[in-house]
Amino acid sequence: MKNDWLITFRSVTFAQRGERLMKQEGIFCTLQRTPRELSERGCGYCLRLRGRDAMAAVSLLQRGSLSFGKVYRLSDDGKPEERTL
Amino acid sequence: MIYLDNGATSFHKPAVVRQAMLRAMDRCANPGRGGYPAAMAAAETVFRCRERAADFFECESQQVVFTSNCTHGLNIAVETLVKPGARVVISGFEHNAVTRPLHTRKARIRVAGRRLFDWENTLEEFEDGLKAGADAAVFTHVSNVFGYILPVEEMAALCRQYGVPFVVDAAQSAGTLPVSLKKLGADFIAMPGHKGLLGPQGTGILLCNRLPEPLMWGGTGSESENQDMPDFLPDRAEAGTLNVVGIAGLGAGIGYLQHKGIENIYRREHQALLRCIKDLQKRGLRVFSGDHQSATISFVSNGDCEKTAQLLAESGIAVRAGLHCAPLAHESAGTLETGTVRISFGHDANPGQNEALYRAIAKIAG
Repeated sequence: MKNDWLITFRSVTFAQRGERLMKQEGIFCTLQRTPRELSERGCGYCLRLRGRDAMAAVSLLQRGSLSFGKVYRLSDDGKPEERTL
Repeated sequence: MIYLDNGATSFHKPAVVRQAMLRAMDRCANPGRGGYPAAMAAAETVFRCRERAADFFECESQQVVFTSNCTHGLNIAVETLVKPGARVVISGFEHNAVTRPLHTRKARIRVAGRRLFDWENTLEEFEDGLKAGADAAVFTHVSNVFGYILPVEEMAALCRQYGVPFVVDAAQSAGTLPVSLKKLGADFIAMPGHKGLLGPQGTGILLCNRLPEPLMWGGTGSESENQDMPDFLPDRAEAGTLNVVGIAGLGAGIGYLQHKGIENIYRREHQALLRCIKDLQKRGLRVFSGDHQSATISFVSNGDCEKTAQLLAESGIAVRAGLHCAPLAHESAGTLETGTVRISFGHDANPGQNEALYRAIAKIAG
């Protein structure tokens, strides 16, 4: 959906750890493949979540010392725009 | 068949293990490779087992690397820590899974502690070995031949004290005794999935406290443009498609142990062990027993050990005879020439097994 946010990870395991963290905190997210244009070194997974949860999600990952890649917001036309939170 | 060869593999697996494997076979594609439901189901199956193992062995989920067996994990650990010609201290009860990789690297091996069931001797000689200078130490938690439980916590503390990286071979202890990466602080702990953890053959776990050197190179489903193996766990040591069906079974096996409680299983196995020692001694056999013994016991038979095992097999008792891929352990115990007959109880130990064994031994002895 447009206006969703993506958080990328280097591997499926990291993304799954992130997904578990989100679920524990009641943040809804889905685990999916990272779009090719966003996977810098090729192949990866990301978490897709609602805009209102993005800040809390990033903060949660940082608090949990869980390594993640970049954060993107999907624009109205579905294009990813990198964001810093 | 009365199965008393759990040291080789656990045979009577809990029903949940088979069910989990069948489910995975029906539902799982390749984990970490695709985004469609069957691929994601596979990834979830693998991750659930990783989490379960991490909980069971007190570490983080990414520190759990899946291997094809314990030997595979030990080879990765040795490849990482032991450079050609390195000085390595090992116990006197190591399996060929430890000694052969070390010999291949022409490691300068110092064997420490050869007395069975003697913690004082083990610790004294082990410390001497570390003091003399060591680049690494590798030691088993439990002897696969004699069931001798080594003082691994103290050995680990000595390694930390002398700053020597170390590997623990938990082939015979994982699923039977508490094993904690956090408490031991080992660089690596290797274990099979198909013994005490009750998973299927073709599974194993390497717990990693440091980044391992890869033993295989290939696809990981991550960083595909990078022509080196990823520099993060677990991907660095997991090239190629994982054994998802096996890992599903392994996860179910660990879940079963968590549900039953390994202390309860240990109690049951230990009762069987104590009775077995008495029964064998009653028949006048030379039995290797002592303090710090797991549910594995060896005895020297009056005739050839292989012949004794064959006669027991004909009576429906499954045991293992010979050198058990551990000539060093036999050399330490003075049984290299004769070999021994090994009885190893498992999670399903029960008095009926002892009775059947006793009757069969009595029949053989005449």
